[in-house]
Amino acid sequence: MTLPAFSLVRPQTVAEALRVLQDAAPGQAKVIAGGTDLIPNLQMKLYAPQLVVDIKGIAALRGIEWSPGQGLRIGALTTLTELERAPIVREQFPVLAEAVAAVAGPLQRNMGTIGGNLCLETRCLWYNQSEFWRRALGGCLKLPMPNPHAAHPRTICHVAPGGKFCWAVWSGDSAPALLALDAEVEISGPRGVTRRPLRELYKNDGMDRLALGHDELLTAVHIPARAAGRRGTYRKLRIRNSIDYPLAGVAVAMEVDDQGICHAARVAIAAVNPAPLLVPQAEALLVGQKASPELIEEVARAVTRTGKPLTTSASTPEYRREMLRVFTRRALQACWDRRDNVEHERDTGD
Amino acid sequence: MEKILLKLCVNGETCQVAVPPNKLLLDVLREDLGLTGSKRGCDDSSCGCCAVLIDGTPMLSCVALAASYAGAEITTVEGLAPPGELHPVQEGFAVSGGAQCGYCTPGFLIATKALLDRNPQPTLEEIREALSSNLCRCTGYMQIYESVRLALERWQQVPRTAAASPTAAQGSQ
Ligand SMILES: Cc1cc2nc3c(=O)[nH]c(=O)nc-3n(C[C@H](O)[C@H](O)[C@H](O)COP(=O)(O)OP(=O)(O)OC[C@H]3O[C@@H](n4cnc5c(N)ncnc54)[C@H](O)[C@@H]3O)c2cc1C
Ligand code: FES
Ligand code: FES
Repeated sequence: MTLPAFSLVRPQTVAEALRVLQDAAPGQAKVIAGGTDLIPNLQMKLYAPQLVVDIKGIAALRGIEWSPGQGLRIGALTTLTELERAPIVREQFPVLAEAVAAVAGPLQRNMGTIGGNLCLETRCLWYNQSEFWRRALGGCLKLPMPNPHAAHPRTICHVAPGGKFCWAVWSGDSAPALLALDAEVEISGPRGVTRRPLRELYKNDGMDRLALGHDELLTAVHIPARAAGRRGTYRKLRIRNSIDYPLAGVAVAMEVDDQGICHAARVAIAAVNPAPLLVPQAEALLVGQKASPELIEEVARAVTRTGKPLTTSASTPEYRREMLRVFTRRALQACWDRRDNVEHERDTGD
Repeated sequence: MEKILLKLCVNGETCQVAVPPNKLLLDVLREDLGLTGSKRGCDDSSCGCCAVLIDGTPMLSCVALAASYAGAEITTVEGLAPPGELHPVQEGFAVSGGAQCGYCTPGFLIATKALLDRNPQPTLEEIREALSSNLCRCTGYMQIYESVRLALERWQQVPRTAAASPTAAQGSQ
């Protein structure tokens, strides 16, 4: 297998990487971290960058730091395996530990980074295919491949024919967990270093997924100290439980007192929209309440109103929507029932 | 395409190769260094047949650009034991029928070696988890788990320092 031709640079500092990105024409350079998303996509000829910028040599982007005042700072190059094993993450941020442990398989997690996971390309049944397959079809909105002999000579969206919007799906697992923990991302660019809420990184557009300039790098993720100790869990639907991308994902993080009253709650979902999304009504419904089947059902309904699964994957939209409901119910119940953040067996929907 | 000169450290030996920057470590190992033990089993980095140890950690050589790993310690299945000898993990697989067609075996051997280096007393659940990036189309996995169990027994009989060192297999190309 050959990848498209490109030049490679390996900057050793953030400043050097930013210079290289700034000098490249927009769209001509691709950043590579672990490569577990970029390389398969290059292999399928989904991109043809002139330049690949390997940031793995930038030591300043590695490592996890915790301070009770500042919270948790995770360098963008921290691998998913490092996160999954870090005692502070397992003990204080269980929803994140569960979500990263559910990404791909262990060999992918040894390479895949948190930065790459948060900047993942969106995925669709009609896009993540070989060049040959896509050409025969005539491509799609996200990647047109005009071909007079194709099944569809005019480029169309195969998920919503006639539509002008790309529904390719956000298929990362750590983002919903980090949304549930009020995380912020640190972005470095020509205008210096800024911090913004993680939810502002996502544009909810399958074609143009990230609010990140071509000359910017995601350099770290911050979780505020107030989110430490929240009960939490992540539930994920996939075809093969050992390795596959999510088809639906639900992350819950909650504070519950000794009387069983909820004091803070976030519910976030992934793999059913072009962005990972917080469910807006969940907090208002849950805060101040004790668990009841009616309340849990109401939150589950709110979740299915936010999630919009379409025919973007190998599983049906109906099944994925139903699993959002099931996972929400189970995740909320598990958070309420749990006295401490002990780990539990993975919920795979069976 | 322009080529770049790389120094790779593979199985304890340093070698120089001139390769284009878009060449994958898997292809450099197989085509430029003649180390055909690592296999390509898929197109989307989901099978584990290409696994190698990079600085002791099992990784997929099909998502690694060779140029990104210049200077790292790379161990392939050829480097697990000196020529003519078997690593305890290889013995386990040979004795328990952990390989049928054998195509997936190098990847399983690498993932198993890394597991035992990190956790010499894994439970069955830990073995299954550590090997869950590796797919096998023949064995149905049970013989593989049995092989790991046997490897574990043999592993405990060898002096840990010799077997655990990635450079145990000097000059094995
Ligand atoms: C078989 C298989 C199964 C998978 N299953 C899952 C799954 O279940 N869940 C899941 O979430 N992922 C899955 N993945 C994808 C992937 O392994 C992870 O998401 C991983 O965390 C990606 O990180 P990376 O460092 O390898 O990304 P890379 O491939 O290096 O980069 C991914 C994207 O992010 C950009 N990027 C990377 N770092 C930065 C940065 N610091 N700043 C700006 N842009 C950046 C790159 O340009 C690229 O577009 C799977 C991959 C494979 C091969
Ligand atoms: S060849 Fe299949 S994972 Fe590398
Ligand atoms: S032995 Fe044939 S694929 Fe595993």
